[in-house]
Amino acid sequence: MKILVVTEQRQGKWNNASFETLVAAQQIAGAHSGSVSALVIGKGVALLAEELASKNVAEVLAVDHDLLENYSPDGYCAALKQVIDSAKPDLVLFPHSYQVRDFAPKLAASLGKGMIGDCVAFRDEAGKLVFVRQMFQGKTAADVTFVGVGPWFASFQSGAFRADLLAAHPSGKAPVNAANVQLKAEDIRTKPLELFKEAKSSVDLTQAPLIVAIGRGIKAPENIAQAEALAKALGAEVAASRPICDEGWLPMERQIGSSGQTVAPKLYLALGISGAIQHVVGMKGSRTIVAVNKDQNAPIFEIADYGVVGDIFEIMPALTEELQKAK
Amino acid sequence: MTIQREQLEADVLIVGAGPAGLACALHLANLIKEHNADGAKPQLSAENIYVLEKGRDLGAHQLSGAIMNPAALAELVPDFQKSAPLDTPVTESAALLFTKNASYRAPITPPPFNNAGNYVISLGKLVKWLGGLVEAAGVNIFKEFAGAELIYEGNGIAGVITEDKGVDKNGKPKDNFTPGYELRAKVTVLAEGPRGSLTKKLVAKHSLDNINPQTYGIGIKELWEVQSGKIKPGYVAHTLGWPLDTKTYGGGWIYGMSNNRVSLGLVVALEYKNPRFDPHAAFQTWKTHPFVKNLLDGGKLVRYGAKTLPYGGWYAMPRNYLDGALIVGDSGSFLDAQRLKGVHLAMKSGMLAAETIFEALVDGDTSAKTLKQYKDNIDASYIKEELFRVRNFHQAFHNGLLDGFFYSGLQELTGGRGLIDPMRTHPGYENYDKVHGRPAAPRFAGDGKLTFDRLTDVYHSGTRHDEDQPCHLKVLEPNICVDRCAEEYGNPCQYFCPAAVYEMVKEGNSQKLKINFANCVHCKTCDVADPYQIIDWTVPEGGGGPNYEGM
Amino acid sequence: MNIIVCIKQVPAKDAPLAIAGNWIKESDIGFEMNEPDSYALEEALRLKEKHGGEVIVLSLGPERFKQTIKEALAKGADRGIHIADENFAQLDPLNVAKVLAAAIAKEKCDLVLTGLQSDDQGYGQTGVLLAGLLNLPHATIIMQIDVQDGKMKLKRELEAGWFQWVECSLPAVLSIQSGINKVRYATLKGIMAAKKKEIATVTRESLGVNVEPTQKIEKIYVPTKTKKTEFVSGTPKEVAAKLVEKLKFEARVI
Repeated sequence: MKILVVTEQRQGKWNNASFETLVAAQQIAGAHSGSVSALVIGKGVALLAEELASKNVAEVLAVDHDLLENYSPDGYCAALKQVIDSAKPDLVLFPHSYQVRDFAPKLAASLGKGMIGDCVAFRDEAGKLVFVRQMFQGKTAADVTFVGVGPWFASFQSGAFRADLLAAHPSGKAPVNAANVQLKAEDIRTKPLELFKEAKSSVDLTQAPLIVAIGRGIKAPENIAQAEALAKALGAEVAASRPICDEGWLPMERQIGSSGQTVAPKLYLALGISGAIQHVVGMKGSRTIVAVNKDQNAPIFEIADYGVVGDIFEIMPALTEELQKAK
Repeated sequence: MTIQREQLEADVLIVGAGPAGLACALHLANLIKEHNADGAKPQLSAENIYVLEKGRDLGAHQLSGAIMNPAALAELVPDFQKSAPLDTPVTESAALLFTKNASYRAPITPPPFNNAGNYVISLGKLVKWLGGLVEAAGVNIFKEFAGAELIYEGNGIAGVITEDKGVDKNGKPKDNFTPGYELRAKVTVLAEGPRGSLTKKLVAKHSLDNINPQTYGIGIKELWEVQSGKIKPGYVAHTLGWPLDTKTYGGGWIYGMSNNRVSLGLVVALEYKNPRFDPHAAFQTWKTHPFVKNLLDGGKLVRYGAKTLPYGGWYAMPRNYLDGALIVGDSGSFLDAQRLKGVHLAMKSGMLAAETIFEALVDGDTSAKTLKQYKDNIDASYIKEELFRVRNFHQAFHNGLLDGFFYSGLQELTGGRGLIDPMRTHPGYENYDKVHGRPAAPRFAGDGKLTFDRLTDVYHSGTRHDEDQPCHLKVLEPNICVDRCAEEYGNPCQYFCPAAVYEMVKEGNSQKLKINFANCVHCKTCDVADPYQIIDWTVPEGGGGPNYEGM
Repeated sequence: MNIIVCIKQVPAKDAPLAIAGNWIKESDIGFEMNEPDSYALEEALRLKEKHGGEVIVLSLGPERFKQTIKEALAKGADRGIHIADENFAQLDPLNVAKVLAAAIAKEKCDLVLTGLQSDDQGYGQTGVLLAGLLNLPHATIIMQIDVQDGKMKLKRELEAGWFQWVECSLPAVLSIQSGINKVRYATLKGIMAAKKKEIATVTRESLGVNVEPTQKIEKIYVPTKTKKTEFVSGTPKEVAAKLVEKLKFEARVI
């Protein structure tokens, strides 16, 4: 099985999820006696290609073109279609990023193929590749398989695989091949303009990979700062159960639960949250749940992977310190 | 803020799409159709009938056991047996007495509990189906619209103002602010169910009360999916006794439905003396009785709900006609408290209202003088026949079960007259004993499998409200909660509300009342049972409230 | 501007889900308009208010979807197209898009809007696939649309608080980010007017679409937690150290 991984970079910086996808590819290749080709696309990607070559891949394809300096769906689709036509992979993998959502389904469709997006895992069932993704906002999981011949297209959710498990190349370096593509400026119909950062007027917790959530146990608004410090050390977003938002201690958009957002992050740290069903339905799809509560009978422990029966006002600072040490 | 409201005019405006409101709409539409077909003048249109429903869908706010006497439906939709979504005919009727560990079945099921010929139904499904017929007849049903205020005119009403939408929790208009409409109609029919919020105000303003005040019970229900073979569809049981004592009026029900579903619940009159009595906890406790536990073991809770019911009967029936207005269904006290049947009476009252309205529209006179025909029609119908016989029934139990059996027994023998006719009562909220600051017992917790705490149950009611809106539960004098009620009654709102809406929380050295209005299931218990009568239940933004799908 | 909005009906957010094979049991649950689609619809209605034209809602699904189409009409859409298909849940994203594209191709429209993704299947591919099949330019996760002289300036959302302006000409396909506007309420007049608005019902066959599956949902299930809760104890410092280690090396989430 020949697997092609399309990595993502912007202005010379990696989207690290690309490495997670390479790990997935290595695992699939291992199980199907396959080979992994890593592709980097853009303009002036030589350095990035060298970096990929140091990983355990069979080859690196460098797609380098002026018109690919800035991402556009037309540009990327046209270029990648040419590469796929010539490289003939069986499986094309992507990290499930905002950018991939914008072009990958169309790329697959241009070859008459479908794409299974946002997968959280894969399995082998009697030699058949089964992809697992979430449905109904994380309330259920779904096993999805491809029908017909490849190339097949799939993307993996950020955090589904661990980037630092990426094996290095066993003998130093993989060959880097330039993949030449023909592109015409008039075929690129959307014109990308300036990129800018903005204080978002609303926070999308559903996209946060790590969440620190507080409940009634926080007792008073002035204590929220401790949770915020912990979140900062973790690189997480702050969220809350309904009573906190009801009181106005955090804005309503930070609410998790049946009357707020439903999230399924990599890590959900529940501090002083009892685990009433109204809250739990909004987060039980989380990959790893850590709960801290001084009541050992709190229902939150029923769904937690790790539990700490303790005082959040002692645990929060201790965790923050420990995380800052690790940085 | 002074709001410019758009004005709309209808011939008839029906507030509430329950069995009474929809029966009224359908019957009226049918009468109009016949009338128009005969070429009679003036030509009328079913499109000028508007029905308002505050729930997000038809049936969303309908809650009942329910066992339906098909009499009214048979008149309204003659081929109902083929087309109506009746779950199952009643196959067996049992009357059970529960003691803590045993249950005794009455060898002969007393007539009021004998339901042969009736059907176990999901009232929500029935209402949804009826609504389909009503819309097909051309009537306009507006879901997610509530009647917020009455438009008073002269000695009656001229219509209803619907609720403002898009108001934030501080009362300020949001981006999508849409003011309520001034809906004027020649006749407004109040079909709001028990303790209707508009009906309550109308009755007060025009002194429509009868000789007895309305008294209420609270019904708390769960719908379960049980293991195959545990219960026969159509098996109907009513229980008396444990865990209620002889002074507390109420009982349980268990109805077997198709697909291994069971409707079960407990009804308690909101007249008990202990202000800390917790009807929800009583219901959960009732489920631990071996008879019920055995039924539910291995099963799964599907849905939860609660609603009040009007027990007052005939002598609590308000005057139900005014200039431009009629009152139907539970809002008008059309419930047989002895047989616990209200669906057919609600529908019949709606149909009788339709007949009167039809005549009034044709004659062009919708004054009280003409609309009084509605009351006369009721008096001449099986509504009076049924309700008059039990006119003193609930009141007989004023001093507890033993007295109640005695008095109601005598009433049975005397066509309802009994020893005292009419038996007078006072409102349930006047019955509370004072607690004098005595500390409360710990709250019921639930085991999470057979019994549940309030919050878990309320989750299963599907209730939701946009949280960024003003609180619809108006406490007229919140100081009383802390200054008087805490000491005198121990804040019973925390106990009688089946949806964990009211909480007394610490604030500094004192307490304050916290209202989690988003949990509200629109049962109206707080409006009924608050000892100081300072809670005014008003409509939230339309669409909010429970979702009793399948109930 | 003639705008087509693709909308879908999904189980109500609080509906208890009972699984049946590779889909859910549809009896005894409530349904509602897919929330992301309601933002797309609102955006379309605002564009119509600004630039004139027509808003058409397009929906592929069983009979019950008509209710959601009516809601869209009540909010101000001009007409609806219902592609009746009881088996819509078995169609994969590419084939859904093929059917929708066939219906869209019959209309003269300047803009096709979709929501970000559906709350049931959640693929989020429809808009992008439509663009591919109709050979139109597209952009996704759009926060703002400014139209001038047949061209659009679009604000696109990226990860980590980044945004980008993109220029795009009409006609085009856009998928709209959720929460970018406050969705309007249907008015009484709107609800009554909706009764008189047209909903054309067509079928996949009448559109001449051949469906060739590219993927299959084998089954859906509630993910079971195979692990029991592992309690971490000790002094706060010890707990913190142990927890961070477990999160790094056992759970591998940080």
